[in-house]
Amino acid sequence: RGAGGAGGKAGAAAGPSPLTVSPPQALVDDTEDVSLDLGSEEELALRKAAIRHPLATFFHLFFRVSAIITYLFCDWFSNSFVACFVTILLLLSFDFWSVKNVTGRLLVGLRWWNQIDEDGKSHWMFEAKRVPTIAASTEAEARIFWLGLIICPVIWTVFLFSTLFSLKLKWLALVIAGISLQTANLYGYIHCKLGGQKSISRVTSRFFVTADVPNRQTRRIPEDYTEQYGKTGT
Amino acid sequence: IPLQFAGLADVSISEDIPVEGEITVPVGAQSPEEDFSTLDEPVKDTIMRDLKAVGKKFVHVMYPKKSSALLRDWDLWGPLVLCVSLALMLQGGSADSKDDGGPQFAEVFVIIWFGAVVITLNSKLLGGTISFFQSLCVLGYCVMPLTVAMLVCRLVLLVGAGTVSFIIRLIVVVAMFGWSTLASTAFLADSQPPNRKALVVYPIFLFYFVISWMILTFTPQ
Repeated sequence: RGAGGAGGKAGAAAGPSPLTVSPPQALVDDTEDVSLDLGSEEELALRKAAIRHPLATFFHLFFRVSAIITYLFCDWFSNSFVACFVTILLLLSFDFWSVKNVTGRLLVGLRWWNQIDEDGKSHWMFEAKRVPTIAASTEAEARIFWLGLIICPVIWTVFLFSTLFSLKLKWLALVIAGISLQTANLYGYIHCKLGGQKSISRVTSRFFVTADVPNRQTRRIPEDYTEQYGKTGT
Repeated sequence: IPLQFAGLADVSISEDIPVEGEITVPVGAQSPEEDFSTLDEPVKDTIMRDLKAVGKKFVHVMYPKKSSALLRDWDLWGPLVLCVSLALMLQGGSADSKDDGGPQFAEVFVIIWFGAVVITLNSKLLGGTISFFQSLCVLGYCVMPLTVAMLVCRLVLLVGAGTVSFIIRLIVVVAMFGWSTLASTAFLADSQPPNRKALVVYPIFLFYFVISWMILTFTPQ
């Protein structure tokens, strides 16, 4: 991704002229903070808030915790095994879908999915959003996200062993479904976080990467990002 | 002035300088600009998009013609909904229902999912080109005719439980069973080499046969 990477706002020092290629300057001046153009009160408030996506954070935890609570206290809610089974299964499915498609990209800017190309081969893609925008996630949100993501599969594994040892085998199918769904999300996001470099570099070499970046994106280029995500070819 | 440009003359973007910027992975052949918006799209769009995809697949099962788009865009929501409704409808159909049909519900569930997994493994071992989840998706969606058959059977049983109703149910179940098997074979058999088609079709036949048997032998309390 070329010259546009510096955006409209990169206050590159001592640039000779607008004709020059920006990337070398951006690299050289990466210790310099790029000034953000805070246009409005709203954006200022957004930046200061500890949690920028309250709904997403709520739903991220809501479905998983409800599933666990329903499983633990199903006898209080209803006498019917079927009702509990279906409820927990639906909660787990909604949780899987919302964490995979919504809260991941809103809270930590990561996304993973499966893509089948023309030859019918399936590829797993892992994407990480590197450019922080005004409405990007905060540390608090990221912490909530990862804690929720890690603790719940552990709890379901505990349930698995308790089901096995207490021989309440009719719940086994449900617990196994719970573990698979939650572990799948955990694995997918860890893979994104660690930077699926192979997938990213392979795909960017196939597709043309344009140079124009929307103005609202400004970049800070910390050193480690360069190391972690490597080079992209043109 | 030329001096300032001299150093930049031999700058080669692709080799020496790590070019940085947002790494967006375009989905399909879309430009990065469009994909950027999928990453930030409002949640309602995501929901609608997925719902429409599920709906399209249901329509495809009803008119099974070879469509690669269906295979490529797999999802497991349809199979989940179908499996749950089928299992719910098969409730309370046996002598010992002191557990309010608990074990029967889980049984149906396990039969469907475990059966689908085994068929998928079988077709992969036979050298099929279709992916694991695609196959699960197709098998799951093709349970839809049998779910419809179950609904019809329950309605017929509300009216009466004699020989006539049995014959009606038999015809309906056999027809839907044939439809399911043909629909899933249309999608799955093509991914196999020609001399292995029968080896792949047979487990699918057996799978839907077992489900049809459960439906046909259902007698309410």
